[in-house]
Amino acid sequence: MLSKLTVSFSPHIGGPYSTRRIMGDVIIALVPAMLAGLYFFRGYALILIPTCVLSCVVTEWLCNLIRQREKPLESLGDLSAVITGIILALSLPPAIPYWAAIIGSVFAVAVGKMVFGGLGANVFNPAMVGRAFLTASFGILMTTWTAPATIDTGLPKVSANRPDAMTQATPLGWSKQAIKTRAAQPQDTAGPAVFVNAQLKNLFIGSTAGCLGETSKAAILLGAVYLLIRQVMNWRIPLAVLLSTFVFGSIGYLANHTAYISPLAHLVTGGILFGAFFIATDPVTAPLTNKGAWLFGAGIGALTILIRVVGEYPEGVMYSVLIMNGFTPLIDRLCKVIPVGGKPNV
Amino acid sequence: MRGGFPGGVHPSEKKELTAESPIKPGPAVKQAAVLLSQHTGAICKPAVKEGESVQAGQVVGDSDAFISAPVHSPIDGKVALITLQSHPVIGRAPAVIIVPDAVNPAKRPQPKPQERFPLDLDIEKYTPQQITTAARKAGIVGLGGAGFPTAVKLEPNPEKPKDFLIINGCECEPYITCDYRVMLEWTNQVITGIRLARKATGHPKTIVAIEDNKPKAVEALGNALKRAPGCKDINVIELKTKYPQGGERQLIKSVLDRFVPTGGIPPMIGVVVLNVATAAAIADAVMFDSPLTHRVVTVTGEAIARPGNYYVAIGTPVKELIDFCGGVTQPSAKVVIGGPMMGIAIADLSTPVTKTTGAVTVLTKEQIGTVKFTRRQTPCIHCGRCLQVCPERLNPTRIAHAVKNNLMDIAQSYFINACIECGCCSYICPANIELTGLIRTGKIYLARQKKLMPS
Ligand code: SF4
Ligand code: SF4
Repeated sequence: MLSKLTVSFSPHIGGPYSTRRIMGDVIIALVPAMLAGLYFFRGYALILIPTCVLSCVVTEWLCNLIRQREKPLESLGDLSAVITGIILALSLPPAIPYWAAIIGSVFAVAVGKMVFGGLGANVFNPAMVGRAFLTASFGILMTTWTAPATIDTGLPKVSANRPDAMTQATPLGWSKQAIKTRAAQPQDTAGPAVFVNAQLKNLFIGSTAGCLGETSKAAILLGAVYLLIRQVMNWRIPLAVLLSTFVFGSIGYLANHTAYISPLAHLVTGGILFGAFFIATDPVTAPLTNKGAWLFGAGIGALTILIRVVGEYPEGVMYSVLIMNGFTPLIDRLCKVIPVGGKPNV
Repeated sequence: MRGGFPGGVHPSEKKELTAESPIKPGPAVKQAAVLLSQHTGAICKPAVKEGESVQAGQVVGDSDAFISAPVHSPIDGKVALITLQSHPVIGRAPAVIIVPDAVNPAKRPQPKPQERFPLDLDIEKYTPQQITTAARKAGIVGLGGAGFPTAVKLEPNPEKPKDFLIINGCECEPYITCDYRVMLEWTNQVITGIRLARKATGHPKTIVAIEDNKPKAVEALGNALKRAPGCKDINVIELKTKYPQGGERQLIKSVLDRFVPTGGIPPMIGVVVLNVATAAAIADAVMFDSPLTHRVVTVTGEAIARPGNYYVAIGTPVKELIDFCGGVTQPSAKVVIGGPMMGIAIADLSTPVTKTTGAVTVLTKEQIGTVKFTRRQTPCIHCGRCLQVCPERLNPTRIAHAVKNNLMDIAQSYFINACIECGCCSYICPANIELTGLIRTGKIYLARQKKLMPS
């Protein structure tokens, strides 16, 4: 019983973490957001989530086959393709046709991840790469927002250009409108921004138009709490994103609170919460050091507000994440850790 | 309660396997292999010839180098052979093989009874020089693991007087309990050693540091210190249980809130750290001229039939020790000299116990975990956990990556040589990357390079 001894480097025991467990925890944390999507958008969610997940997993497998990996199924075990699928699905407009979702998923995994060499080597968040591709290719589909199946916020309904769905403006689209027309608006009348500010509660619960999984902030926070308890993510990143969104969001509001939505409204609209907790925290594409995490998060928040308030698009989380992903290697280089004993004097 | 050093991990302690088993005499030696390199520093040259008779305590290897320590025979007998022998740390090293007389076989080794170390011993009769010389002659080295010659540590340095003496009773490695038992059972001997070491180092401020998972040891040493003359000002402090609290650099940070400079050693900031078992050995050496030929070894692991703490002759083969403890009851995967975090897995069970062998840990596949055992890895997911737990605040993933790609200048720009090889990074890594192993490989590679191309 003492034969066949193994020799290898110390340590000889391992800690509680594994890549699969971490990814599994992220999937569990995404469940509330998926359920919320299912509740608000019903059949759309039922089709969209499985479509994206399946196409992501199959794409990874095919890429492994093409790369002639010895075990083409092995890398699927790390579950990262499943996460990419879920996150992509949750960040798409609910009524997007399934074929577009498939195209987005294939692009996300193939171009966003596998061409770099698979998990760990990719520079950009795969799900966001897929989404950016869809936005660039199918602009209209990506901005057609379905009204949730439950109560109605009273945001104006856009005339239904699709017969099968009731579409509606998103709060951010609406406030963008407010910014663009602010010159024409007298200071004291209740403009669209004031209207959005008054809707905070509905925005929080999720009964507004928006991406499939991004609308219910309560569900997202529930998942975030789980991630925190399981110590899955670096909490500095979401905290930095939210703080910087709040700070930069305050600027416009303090200057003119009828034309700009309040910083709180910035936090509960669009994808900022979802992005802060589930997209920006993707470890592969975020900086390694804590200092870097603060910088990275702050950058995402600032860029998001910049795009929302000044830019052409109503929402900017996706682009800010992608831009900051690009800066990650630089941030890592700037934020080198110094050993506790200081730099050796040689 | 103090306990602050950055990083660190909390592996399950597993000390309950042996914490309550008192120190018992180890096996009678059938053949002792005394390695000529059991310490940091110059390897000893054999001081005996093959076929020569030796007595217990006789020097069998010595060196003139300043940083070195002589080795002694643990038994009466004959030098059968001087040959290369498996060494737990450096692979292979020369050793003196001693076999006992056929007519007068070795007995099971007995530690000295504690009555012989009175707490109120008059230490005035020993000069600092005598104490240091005795430690050198006895071949005492740091028994905690690193094996740095103790006499060198005690030696006065006119440029940097010693301000602090820290007695290390942390024993932060999982499974190991030999220091714990020494603190409980050899309390007086440890205190005497502390008093002597303090005298030798010029009476610095002295602190005994113990992790807070060993309240009994804190109490035992605290009470004894109250009764020993001139020890009122020695405090026993409890530190947070966190691996690697017992690492010299981490300990100094926790106790004194000072950092040892990167690439430096504690004496540079006026600190001496001694392990509790080392202190006990000093008492033995100074009072009775006894060389370091035996030590307490924890033989442990779920697979061992009778785990426990044993007083063992240095040179005893690991195989004999395991057999003495009833062998193993389950198929075992690894035999580790030391604990699971920093210990070294051996394949050759004739590897002898050395001065720095605190434990022999037999691990089964279940204890190691299947993922760890099969060394299944995923790519690094950049999660940053290895950075968070590194007690030296390094960037393990970057260093390991550089070593893997043979980019040694990049590895150095990330301070590869500052790594203390504690294993925290490998332990925590979700991708199961052998960070510590890669870093160690890189350090060895760099050291060789330096040897080949002296600047
Ligand atoms: S802990 Fe492992 S997976 Fe995480 S950054 Fe370090 S090496 Fe990479
Ligand atoms: S083994 Fe080295 S790099 Fe890894 S945690 Fe310990 S000191 Fe840091």
